[in-house]
Amino acid sequence: MGLIARALEVAGIATVMTSWNVSKTVAVAPPRATMTRLSRGATLGNPGDAAQQRRVIAASLTLLAHPAPIAPVMLDEQ
Amino acid sequence: MDAVFPTRDAWVAAYRERWLAHYQATGQIDWKLYPALTLDSAPAGKAVDVTQASVLLISSAGGYIPQAHAAFDATNDLGDYSIRLIDTPYAPSAYHFAHDHYDHTAVDADPQVLVPVTHLLDLQDAGLIGELAPQVVSFMGYQPDVGRVVDEMIPQIISVAHDLRVDAAFLVPS
Repeated sequence: MGLIARALEVAGIATVMTSWNVSKTVAVAPPRATMTRLSRGATLGNPGDAAQQRRVIAASLTLLAHPAPIAPVMLDEQ
Repeated sequence: MDAVFPTRDAWVAAYRERWLAHYQATGQIDWKLYPALTLDSAPAGKAVDVTQASVLLISSAGGYIPQAHAAFDATNDLGDYSIRLIDTPYAPSAYHFAHDHYDHTAVDADPQVLVPVTHLLDLQDAGLIGELAPQVVSFMGYQPDVGRVVDEMIPQIISVAHDLRVDAAFLVPS
């Protein structure tokens, strides 16, 4: 995903991603990212926890207000 | 693509000489032979006012609509580099997932953990994003050949993003 984000950003489209995989995300230096301690297969939150999923989405989309690149933001979600 | 993947040629050469050559010789996958992918700095990009932006959802969960698409080649050891475009009127509950490299328990119980279409439409209705783009870009994120990702899949995604005239993209890996 990080490479896709990088390519879209170069193409003039602002990007943000979110990931539970901190090391892999940092390794590819995406333009904007949030990171969590959630699980593989449940990237946005736990199943049935719509409030948590919305928090992750909102926190991620907020980063689009900043010019890239910015440092990845760690969210307190697990 | 230099700003996207400046070490592409060296990475692809290492992948072919090590991981792919071993797989072709033995039929076995050995992740110890897989070259690391590390990039130093992210490309620069503009800020957007998300309340005015058209936002494209990109998912690597392997989602597809059986009535509209072929499933991804989830069992292919060499990956699947194709994309599906899923119209946003399809509810997350309509999605099926062809991806053998993550546990589907959560997404089967609640597809919005990976394809948050309803959440994003709610944000659109509340005026918190300008709009959700009319199609979701979906692919199956098991793609060991990063060279093929860059050469084959990314150009398709950029073309879709331009065709849909989106301002921003929200990327959700599985």
